[in-house]
Amino acid sequence: MASPQREGFTVPTSISHAALGQVTTKSLGVKYNCAQCASSFSLGKNDAIRCKDCGHRVIYKARTRRMVQFEAR
Amino acid sequence: MSDNIVGIEYNRVTNTSSTDFPGHSANGDFSWDIEKFKDSFDIQISYITERTANFDLVNIDTSIANAFRRVMIAEVPSVAAEAVYMFMNTSVIQDEVLAHRIGLIPLKVDPDLLNWVDKTLDENERYTEENTVVLSLDVVCTKNSHAPKNSTNPKELYKNAHIYAKDLKFEPQGGQAERFKIKPVAADPDILLAKLRPGQEISLRAHCILGIGSDHAKFSPVATASYRLMPVINITEPIRGDSAKRFQKCFPSGVIGINKNGEAYVKDARKDTVSREVLRHEEFNGKVKLGRKRDHFIFNVESTGAMSPEEIFFKSVRVLKNKAQYLRNCPIGQ
Amino acid sequence: MAELEDVSMVDEKIEQVEEEEQEYDLDKIKLLPGSSDDGSAASFQIIDEDHTLGNALRYIIMKNPEVEFCGYSIPHPSENKLNIRIQTYGSITAVEALHQGLDNLTELCTVIEDKFSEKIEAGGYKTVETTNNI
Repeated sequence: MASPQREGFTVPTSISHAALGQVTTKSLGVKYNCAQCASSFSLGKNDAIRCKDCGHRVIYKARTRRMVQFEAR
Repeated sequence: MSDNIVGIEYNRVTNTSSTDFPGHSANGDFSWDIEKFKDSFDIQISYITERTANFDLVNIDTSIANAFRRVMIAEVPSVAAEAVYMFMNTSVIQDEVLAHRIGLIPLKVDPDLLNWVDKTLDENERYTEENTVVLSLDVVCTKNSHAPKNSTNPKELYKNAHIYAKDLKFEPQGGQAERFKIKPVAADPDILLAKLRPGQEISLRAHCILGIGSDHAKFSPVATASYRLMPVINITEPIRGDSAKRFQKCFPSGVIGINKNGEAYVKDARKDTVSREVLRHEEFNGKVKLGRKRDHFIFNVESTGAMSPEEIFFKSVRVLKNKAQYLRNCPIGQ
Repeated sequence: MAELEDVSMVDEKIEQVEEEEQEYDLDKIKLLPGSSDDGSAASFQIIDEDHTLGNALRYIIMKNPEVEFCGYSIPHPSENKLNIRIQTYGSITAVEALHQGLDNLTELCTVIEDKFSEKIEAGGYKTVETTNNI
């Protein structure tokens, strides 16, 4: 039903980069949502844990759009 | 009292089981006779509304009446969500709880338009347009920029703050758009599924299939299907004057009337709840006998909305008939 | 002679078609140990049935004047099995009594079905809920 590809993960276009051990995805960071203003943004590993719009310090990791199946029981 | 009346006394019941079998007593032939049954059996309909039906089955045995009641609850098929595919759910209600809630929503889908799902098949081939109705729920909550000032009402402050059963939308598969003349929707539009705040989102598909109540209560087409026996009140000694008024108060209103001579009479026993309040009063001791007709069933059928209540009863008779016919043709193994 | 053969072949074909239409479960009902040699008393085990059919069937079989005894039991609540015992006076076999019972139950349902649709078609009932009528 849904594509099995995970969000935030890109298949390397040429295998040579991977073989050389180079980081192809220039660490786009992880997606977050602000608990206060609901804006969504990415943070790198050295970024302050703050909303980029309102500066609120409570943020949630964004959920991926990967399909999950449940029994309605 | 007559032999088909269950006696109801202060702290006991009497004459509770059926005795209409051949050989039980010397008088009367009780062997099965379809013509006799045809003549004596009667149905009296009190009312049938969109959601509830109230009718009496008269001159029928408990075992048969109870079979219909049981079949209505557990074996008349109806449609409910079975598999929920969640793409996004950032609401505070957990995925599995939301899936469960969606499963319990009564759906207005004609069960005759769907085939049974073959559970032995692989999950990828199980659901087809012949046996599945797909409902989708895609909602995002946002801030309402036109909200009145100083409002504290979430419904004004936000858009899509409350998610209801009516937000489930039918997604026709293949030729379903023509097959389903009446669009499948929730039978009750205002069932609250989840509450959202700005930025929260729900996106899911629900696959709805045929099932029966014995598998899961969500498939039961009735909210309740019950019967009670017709009450009998027998005033054996006249009750007059103030005593009659006190007598009247022992029963629900409308059960006991007082005639112009000030004497109590039974106006409508059907309305009685057989609370036995009257038996607690010394002054009516030996003046009244309570009972219930053992072969008079007052049915009350409450539909969840998928089918009309009379259709549910009709189908229950069909189901029992099919059971008997099917078993009749099954070879008896050793 | 040739004509007769033709007829029987046609019959066979029809039977085959009917069998294909409705398949019957070979394990649905079986005979339990403890039947009498003359077949007048026997117990049966029915799979995937409960009190719904059990009690209704027991009642209708007991209404048969040739039947001396009929009773049913669900031996274990978590097994979908129904045991039914039939003893006759000897003029019919237990299997016949069972089959008569099932036929009688079928015709009973037909009567109720007809009566109900007749009453619905006749109309004249209320279409609003009346209180105190629960």
